[in-house]
Amino acid sequence: MKLTTHDLALAYDGRLVIDGVSFEIDAGEMVAIVGPNGSGKSTLLRGLSRLQKPVRGRVLLGETDIRHMSTREVARTLAILPQSPDAGNDLTVRELAWRGRYPHQGLLQRPGRADYEAVEWALAAADVETLAERTLGSLSGGERQRAWIALALAQQPKVLLLDEPTSFLDIQHQVEVMHLLRRLNHEGMTVVAVLHDLPLAGRFADRAIAINRGKVEMDGPPARVFEPGALERVFNVPMIVLADPVTGLPIPLPAPDPHLCAMAPGR
Amino acid sequence: MLRAGPLAVLAAGLGALALLGLLNMMLGSITLSPAEVWSGLTSQSDPFARSVVWQIRWPRFVDGILVGASLATAGALLQGVTRNPLADPAILGITAAAGLASSIAIVVDPQVPQWGVALSCAAGGLAGAGVLFFVAWRGQVSPVRLALAGVALSAFFGAAIVGLLSSSRTFLQTSLGFLAGGLYGSEWRELRAALPYLVPAFLGATLLGGRLNVLALGEDVAAGLGVLTDRTRLLVLAVAGLLTAGAVSIAGLVGFVGLVCPHLARFTVGTDNRLVIPAAALYGAILVTGADLAARLVIRPSEIPMGIITAGIGAPFLLYLVKSRG
Repeated sequence: MKLTTHDLALAYDGRLVIDGVSFEIDAGEMVAIVGPNGSGKSTLLRGLSRLQKPVRGRVLLGETDIRHMSTREVARTLAILPQSPDAGNDLTVRELAWRGRYPHQGLLQRPGRADYEAVEWALAAADVETLAERTLGSLSGGERQRAWIALALAQQPKVLLLDEPTSFLDIQHQVEVMHLLRRLNHEGMTVVAVLHDLPLAGRFADRAIAINRGKVEMDGPPARVFEPGALERVFNVPMIVLADPVTGLPIPLPAPDPHLCAMAPGR
Repeated sequence: MLRAGPLAVLAAGLGALALLGLLNMMLGSITLSPAEVWSGLTSQSDPFARSVVWQIRWPRFVDGILVGASLATAGALLQGVTRNPLADPAILGITAAAGLASSIAIVVDPQVPQWGVALSCAAGGLAGAGVLFFVAWRGQVSPVRLALAGVALSAFFGAAIVGLLSSSRTFLQTSLGFLAGGLYGSEWRELRAALPYLVPAFLGATLLGGRLNVLALGEDVAAGLGVLTDRTRLLVLAVAGLLTAGAVSIAGLVGFVGLVCPHLARFTVGTDNRLVIPAAALYGAILVTGADLAARLVIRPSEIPMGIITAGIGAPFLLYLVKSRG
């Protein structure tokens, strides 16, 4: 499902942190939102998911303004995974996934066949079936992140928003989570993730939206957005961009300052 | 974990409650045999047994069930919404707020009818819950700070209650019974006055379990799943305030029931609030009717306030929780 913003403005602590953002994310796209700390990325994600009311402008889910939908209606179409949630450590993974059925259930929360199937699919898709009876508190960081993704998937969303899903994870777990998102995307889900890790964004996203000082600085395929000049404007540090020897995809890195690098052999 | 199926918990709990019911009918300042209880319940042949059972012990037992279930349900709601294992209507000052409101009503008009007491308790309970909403705003308050704020509130309201009652001419045995909490002399009249808001409050509590489950996952996750978090919190606190108020209007200031029972419930049925809330209510009914029985047996034929027994069980439990969880 399409996700559109028109001239969106959002405040955080009374300060305008997103100021006039417009973009259109098509169904089935995989988008990375990148930008420096404090650039308003997380606030933007909250605005996209109706967790936060816009000061100005609109967010459309499909063709409908999300302010004209109830929170439950939004939650049936769009799932958001906030940054490293730390609650629910005494729940099992399966219990956590079941709570994703909340927006689909009625007042009495009587579970039906569709709920069982959605939970089983979510556990399988997030690759946590074998962990289903373990409690969250007993899992490693990567396993726990996949369990939270299972919660979001149990909502059966058409659009999945994630706030830094790979932070605090080691490389193996980062790759696991990104592969999982890519698989979901191949199956038709629209995925929008705030990512701090530019090489991961360059490898896995179809499109990068660079946010700086509350505005869209660049928007397009990573091959075009991850260009040293543009990246320097956004991140305020000189950048270089390598090409992945296997895929040719961009690998952005901060430009080395020869005086402040480890001593290279032979120097 | 001693997890059992919900149906096993329900069967065991109802069995225990039935046994307590029989004992409550038999024992007190005078003892009736099971046969006398039965003939008192079912026939006119023994007018004495009939009046003891129907006019004194049966209403008192039902009052006890309602008081225990109300306080335990309120405790389960409060622990769920504050995500705080130390939450309890008495610890957080809601009990004292309801008690203060009813004391004011009694001092202003010593002849106030029971429905006036019940209504003023409801107003006090809702006000106490409202104060708590601002103290525990957004549920981000640490367990210890919330408990300390509750201590301050209950000390303040408690002092006001004692001040009011001791300055009035009615400070007598009845006031002591109210302050320490008990079911001495409880009849249908107390029950009838509180039922009009206790019934909807219980209904609300059973429907709020699913939302509490989602709220327990944290502010943003809950909002992302379609829960209106602030509205839910306000609703949960209002229901807890009404439940507490009903218990106070029947039995005065009974402590610790709302603290202990939700823990027992989670220990037996797990973390799903849709099960924790009814299980806690059942345990509350058992605890209060059991404590009431003990309260009238320890110095038979006289009796002590039932709140002393619940405090005797609950206070060590609170210390244990503080020590083990901080």
